[in-house]
Amino acid sequence: MQRCKALFFFLLCCAAAFAQSAAAQSRSTPPLPGKGPVTCASCHRSQASTQPGTQMGRAMQLPGDNPDLVAHPKMTYQRGAYTYEVVTRNGQSQYSVTDGTHTLSLPILWAMGAQAQTWVVEHNGQMYESLVSYYPTLNGLYLTVGDDTLAPKTIEDAIGRPLSEEDAKTCFGCHSTNAIVDHKLDLATLKPGLTCEHCHTGAMEHLKSEIKGDHSNDPPSLADLSSEDISNFCGRCHRSWELVVRAGWKGPSNVRFQPYRLANSKCFNGADPRISCIACHDPHEKVVRDVTYYDSKCLACHSPALEAAAPTSPPAKTCPVAKSNCTSCHMPKVPFPGGHFVFTDHQIRIVRPNEPYPN
Amino acid sequence: MTTPDSRFLTEFRIAETTGSAMHPARRRHTPTRRVRRKGFPPILTILLLTMLLLEPALAIAQDTPPTFDDVSAAASAARAQGDLPRAIDLYQQAVQLNPQWPDGWWYLGSLQYGTNAYAPAAGALTHYIDLTPHAGPALALRGLCEFEEGKYPESLQDLQQGISLGAANQPKNAGILLYHEALLLTKAGRFEEALGQYTLMVKHGSVNDDVITGIGLAGLRMPIFPQEIDPSQAEMLLLVGRPASQVMSGDLPGAHRSFLAVFDRFPTTPNLHYLYGYLLFTTDPDQSIAQFQEELTVSPTSAITHAMLAWAYGMRGEYVADLPNAQKAVQEDPSLPMGQLVLGRAMVETGDVTGGLPHLLAMLASDPQNLEAHLALAKAYSKLGRAEDARRERLECLALSGQGAAPNATM
Repeated sequence: MQRCKALFFFLLCCAAAFAQSAAAQSRSTPPLPGKGPVTCASCHRSQASTQPGTQMGRAMQLPGDNPDLVAHPKMTYQRGAYTYEVVTRNGQSQYSVTDGTHTLSLPILWAMGAQAQTWVVEHNGQMYESLVSYYPTLNGLYLTVGDDTLAPKTIEDAIGRPLSEEDAKTCFGCHSTNAIVDHKLDLATLKPGLTCEHCHTGAMEHLKSEIKGDHSNDPPSLADLSSEDISNFCGRCHRSWELVVRAGWKGPSNVRFQPYRLANSKCFNGADPRISCIACHDPHEKVVRDVTYYDSKCLACHSPALEAAAPTSPPAKTCPVAKSNCTSCHMPKVPFPGGHFVFTDHQIRIVRPNEPYPN
Repeated sequence: MTTPDSRFLTEFRIAETTGSAMHPARRRHTPTRRVRRKGFPPILTILLLTMLLLEPALAIAQDTPPTFDDVSAAASAARAQGDLPRAIDLYQQAVQLNPQWPDGWWYLGSLQYGTNAYAPAAGALTHYIDLTPHAGPALALRGLCEFEEGKYPESLQDLQQGISLGAANQPKNAGILLYHEALLLTKAGRFEEALGQYTLMVKHGSVNDDVITGIGLAGLRMPIFPQEIDPSQAEMLLLVGRPASQVMSGDLPGAHRSFLAVFDRFPTTPNLHYLYGYLLFTTDPDQSIAQFQEELTVSPTSAITHAMLAWAYGMRGEYVADLPNAQKAVQEDPSLPMGQLVLGRAMVETGDVTGGLPHLLAMLASDPQNLEAHLALAKAYSKLGRAEDARRERLECLALSGQGAAPNATM
C-alpha cells in the first residue's frame, strides 16, 4: 500500500516528465511545463529547499556568485616583501601578488569555504592554493591556515602552495560535487558546493530509474548507518578518527575535525544512535547555533529517568550543575590557532580549569 | 654540556667513516702483520738496564697502590695521546677500582669497539647502560658490536632503541646507524621497514653504492646481507636500487623512466612492480594500484602484492574490491601479518565485523604495536557497541601515534 502511495505521488510529480519520454530521460533533464526540470527537489522538496543554503551547500563558490568578494571589491594584505590584492569587478575576481618589481595577477577560479575563503588559482598549468585568505572576523585578508611557515623566495612561490594532484583531489572532492571521476580530478563535471549526489551515492541513477517508473533503485540509506559508520562517512571530509590519528594531527588545530573529537568522548558508542553526527545535526539544514537546541540531545542519555531505568548497566551520569545549556560547559569553544575563528569542541567532557587541550 | 656519549660519538664516527664502515663485509679488521726480529733490539736493552737501576725506587712506589684518581687520569691521558692499548688497560683497571664510574665503562667500551674487540666492548657498554639507562648512543654502539658478533636480533633491538633515544640525531651517525638497522630489517624479512629507513637515509643525502644495493635487496625482498649476494645478481640489485632511491629523493619523473628501463631488462623478476607500486603508494595511489596489478601478472601468487592491493583499495574506500584480494593474500600465505590485517579490516568494513576480529587479533599477535591493526580493532569494537574495548583501542592508538594520550588519559 505504501509503495502504491509512493508511486502515485511520484507520478504526480513527474507526470510531465513521462510525457516527454526520451527527452525527459536525457542527462540534462528538460524543464517540465510549468514545473521546471525533474530533479531531486521534485520529490525531496524540504531537503532541497534548505540544503543549498547550508555551509556544505556553499562549500565552494564561483567568483561571479560570491557575495563576500562582491561585498569586498578590493582587499589588500602585506606580508614581508609581498603585497597581495584581491579585486572584484564585473563578476570577475583577480588575485594579485607583487614584490614591487614583478606582479602576478591571476583570475580566481574557485573559492573554497562558506565562511573563510581560500582561493584556487592557476599559473602556468599549476594549481595553487592562495597564500592569503578572506576571514569574515577580520573583514579582510590574512595568511591561509597552515601556510604561516611558508617563506616565499620568488613571486611564483608567493602565490601560495602548489597543489599536487592528490591535494587537488582532496580539496575539490570535499568542496564540490562530481569533481572526482574514476579517481581522477575532472573539472568539467564539477558542481560547486555539495549537492545531493555528493553524499547520496547513486542519486542520479535513482532519479533516472524513478523517471522510468522503476522504484527499486534507492540509494543506500545513510540514516540506517551506525554512529560509527556515520562518523566515518562524515569523516571523509570532516576527518575521521582514524584519519587524524594516522596523520598525527595534534593540538588545538584538530578541533575542526569533529568526528575525531566526538569519538574521543567518553560517551561515544559507535552502536548508539543517540551520539551519531545526525542525532544532533541535520545536514540538510543550517547548523543550529542556539545551545538550548542541543539540550534534548544530551538528555536523551543523561537524564535522571534513564538513570533510574537502567539499573543493570552503568547509566550515563546526570549533571549535578544544570539541566540546560549543556554544550556551553561540556563542549567548549576553542579558538582555532591562526584561523581567526572559533570551533565548538566535539570532545564532550567535563572541562577542568586550566587543563591543557586534550588531544 | 659535553657528555661522554657525545664526545665518543665523534670518535666512533671517525672510526666508522675512515674505515669501510658502510659495508659490514668490509669492516672486518685486518690484523697487523707482526715483524719478528732476531736478537735483542738495542733500545730494549737500554730500557732493561734503566729498569734494573731504578728497581729500588719502583719497589717503594709499588708499596702504595694507585688510587682511582691516578688511574682514571692516566687513562684519560693515554686516550688523549691516542695510545689505545694503554688507555684500554688503564680504563679496565679504573672500572675495577670503581665499578660505578659510568664514564670509565663508556670509554672502555668505545675504545674496545674501535679496536674491533666487539664482545668485550659490548660487555663494557652493558655496564654503562646499567648505570645510565637511557643512553641512546651507548645502546646504538652496543647494537653495532652485536651486529659484528652476529647477534642480529639483539643488535636490531639495541639499534632501534638507541635511535629512538636520539643516537642518530647527528647526520653522520644517522647514516651508519640507519644503514645497519636497514640491513638487519632486510635480513629479518621486514622489507618495508627497511625501505623506510633507506628513505630517511636518501633524504639525508647518505647515498652510495652500498646503500643502493641495500635498497635493491629490500626492494626485491631478499633476506640476505650484501656480502651474501650472488655475484651474478649484484648488477641487477644496483639497477633496481637506483630508481627506488630516485623515488625516495622525490625525483618521480626520473624514477619512472629508470623503472621502465628496469622492467624492460628484467621482465620476469618478481617484486619489481611491487617495489615501484609500494614506493608510489603515498604520492600516487592510482599508479600504485596499477603496479600491484602488473606485479600479479608476473607473480600471481604473491601474497604481499595481494595484501597491498587490498590495502590500496581499502584506502580508497573500495572495500568490495578490497575483500577478494585480502582473501587471496591470506589464502596464499596465512602467516603473512599484513594479509591478516587487510582481511580483518575488509571484513569489518563489509559488515562481517565479528568475522574480522580474529584476523586483526592474529595481526596483533605478531606485531602488538601495529597502529593499523589497533585502528581497525577500535572501529570493529565500536561497531559492535563494545564501547570500553573500543575506547581502550583508541587510547592505544593515540599512544602509538604519539598523539599524547597515556593509557589513563582522560578522553
